[in-house]
Amino acid sequence: MGMIDHDPPNARPGRARPGGWLRIAVFGRNPKVTLARVVILVVTCVVVFKFVLLPIRVEGVSMLPAYNDKSVNFVNRLAYLRHEPRRGDVVGLRLGGTNVFYRAPGVMYMKRIVGLPGETVAFADGHLLINGAALDEPYEKGPCNWNFAPVTVGSNQYFVVGDNRSMPRDYHVFGKARKEQIVGKVLF
Amino acid sequence: MRFVLVLAVAALGVWLWLVLFPSPEKVIARQFEKLAQAASVRPGEGFLPRMAGAQRVGGFFSTNVEINIDLPGLQQHDTMSRDDIVQKMMGANLAGGLKVKFPDINVTVDADKATAQADITVKARIPGEQDMMVQAMKFTLRKTGGKWLITRVQTVRTLS
Repeated sequence: MGMIDHDPPNARPGRARPGGWLRIAVFGRNPKVTLARVVILVVTCVVVFKFVLLPIRVEGVSMLPAYNDKSVNFVNRLAYLRHEPRRGDVVGLRLGGTNVFYRAPGVMYMKRIVGLPGETVAFADGHLLINGAALDEPYEKGPCNWNFAPVTVGSNQYFVVGDNRSMPRDYHVFGKARKEQIVGKVLF
Repeated sequence: MRFVLVLAVAALGVWLWLVLFPSPEKVIARQFEKLAQAASVRPGEGFLPRMAGAQRVGGFFSTNVEINIDLPGLQQHDTMSRDDIVQKMMGANLAGGLKVKFPDINVTVDADKATAQADITVKARIPGEQDMMVQAMKFTLRKTGGKWLITRVQTVRTLS
């Protein structure tokens, strides 16, 4: 009595059928598990890059030399959950509207915090003065001749300015930002 | 299976309802997107489309618009007619053309449902300028003849 062999002649135990390797490469050995992994990965990416680490592209020269035009970075929206913003932090600032967590701004200002609540900030011959004393700013490289009368930072405000002070003062956006305007801290 | 089908039909119904009967906030936001398109000149665009774009921009404004612009090198506090706006747009389009985007649009409709405020971030490339101009602005709109028209334009100081 002869045996009936349903497998094609080239089929061997432990080896995938022709074309099977592609299916395994694309869908995995267990497609349901692969689908679950893909869904988890997509959801994680959406949550992380929409609500936690906002990808940004720097436009303009106001933060030179630390941040070049067209460079890519991230804004960490959770950076100030445990502590208040600190001097020297580079932050993303919302231009208008309210800081709604589920709605990330499409455009932000990128500035460095130099003045904390209650402090007096001024510029004298290009030197940044905090409460009358010059602040050491290793990130500021270019020549600067700015003069700016002292202003007192409010209790819920931070004084922000760009690093590139070699550009004319009138073309540079700086001043007091409300805490609610701070979207997060620039990661790198 | 039937439950899933019912859910899918309900979701489709809700989606259709939102598409067919959008909220005033959505209508105004879309209107601003159209305004950005009309105000922008595409590369290689000819004279006539540029002029038509400038005319279309006028259609988004009421007959008289209160302007309060406070920018370094540009202060303007007066009332402009719709024709003035069209003329200004034509001038800008002839000078090379603007490229306008509204990346952040936050619309609040007032309780009377006849007026609304739009807090908008304007990103514009102006002819002759190297960098993009980014500015927070506030627009006031009034519903006139079923259409939301801009009655007031003002700049907002981001940093005090």
